[in-house]
Amino acid sequence: VADKIRLIPQDFFAELCEQIIQHLNHKIPGINTAELCQRIQTSGIDINIGDLAKIANTLSFLFSTAARNNLSTEELVTTLGSGVSPLPKHAVQVIRHVWSEQGKAIAVSEDAGNMATVGQFVDMKWKLGVAMSSDTCRSLKYPYVTVTLTVADPSGQITDKSFEMTIPQFKNFFRQFKEMASVLETV
Amino acid sequence: QLVSALHNLTRHVVYRGLTRAEDILCLFPENFHQNLKNLLTKIILENISTWRSEAQASQISLPRLVDMDWRVDIKTSSDSIARMAVPTCLLQLKIQEDAALCGNNPVVSALTVELSKETLDTMLEGLGRIRDQLSAVANK
Repeated sequence: VADKIRLIPQDFFAELCEQIIQHLNHKIPGINTAELCQRIQTSGIDINIGDLAKIANTLSFLFSTAARNNLSTEELVTTLGSGVSPLPKHAVQVIRHVWSEQGKAIAVSEDAGNMATVGQFVDMKWKLGVAMSSDTCRSLKYPYVTVTLTVADPSGQITDKSFEMTIPQFKNFFRQFKEMASVLETV
Repeated sequence: QLVSALHNLTRHVVYRGLTRAEDILCLFPENFHQNLKNLLTKIILENISTWRSEAQASQISLPRLVDMDWRVDIKTSSDSIARMAVPTCLLQLKIQEDAALCGNNPVVSALTVELSKETLDTMLEGLGRIRDQLSAVANK
């Protein structure tokens, strides 16, 4: 991971650390790895999303462990230095800065929202469309609903999942959600 | 050649959305065998709606929702909190990748998501808006 971190320019690395700390502080629902990866790639750096995800996971673990053990900035930096493969200087600098600014605020919070064992729902976007024509049917007029769910996986990384539903499926979908809501109310 | 010709004929009928016997009959050439022409038309008419549905089902699309399961849990305790009663909802969506891309082995992936009361309400609000749109479109 240290090698991969070497590839990332300082400002992107700082942005990643910022997002991770804010996620640990429950200020943002997740870490937008895909979007960050795209911007890093656009700037000419050859890094793939899998590597960036590993880096994000490692940093997340580092920060949350440091929070739980109440490490001071100096203790954290010393621990980093004693690892097998040392991190590049600019990375240590960023970590030191981010930790001293916001590290203390990572309350090992008494919050039920902490226990993420499955993806956490973040947002839903939708579109209602009508397919007018296709290579198999010239006149279709087939209505459908497209939904994009934004989900933060257990490590905090945000992904989108898109899918289509027919209108009867959508009606059932809606009905199920109303039922879920009423069970949640009464439970 | 025969199978290919039949295939072209049926595809053409589905594509154009022909539903009346006259429209199908006039596709055949002048000197075509009368009885065979009638028989083929009858068979095509019988199958046209099935073929049309199949065409719609297999047209290119985003992955499709094939199943959905859910349950409501109450979180009663954890390593950091001894007692609590937080209701939470677990939803599992089974999504099938585009049939056209997978051929005969459709890939189904499961997406498991946790929703709190707040996020569930957000979801419901969005779904309600879709429903309103649908009614508005249906009434036009």
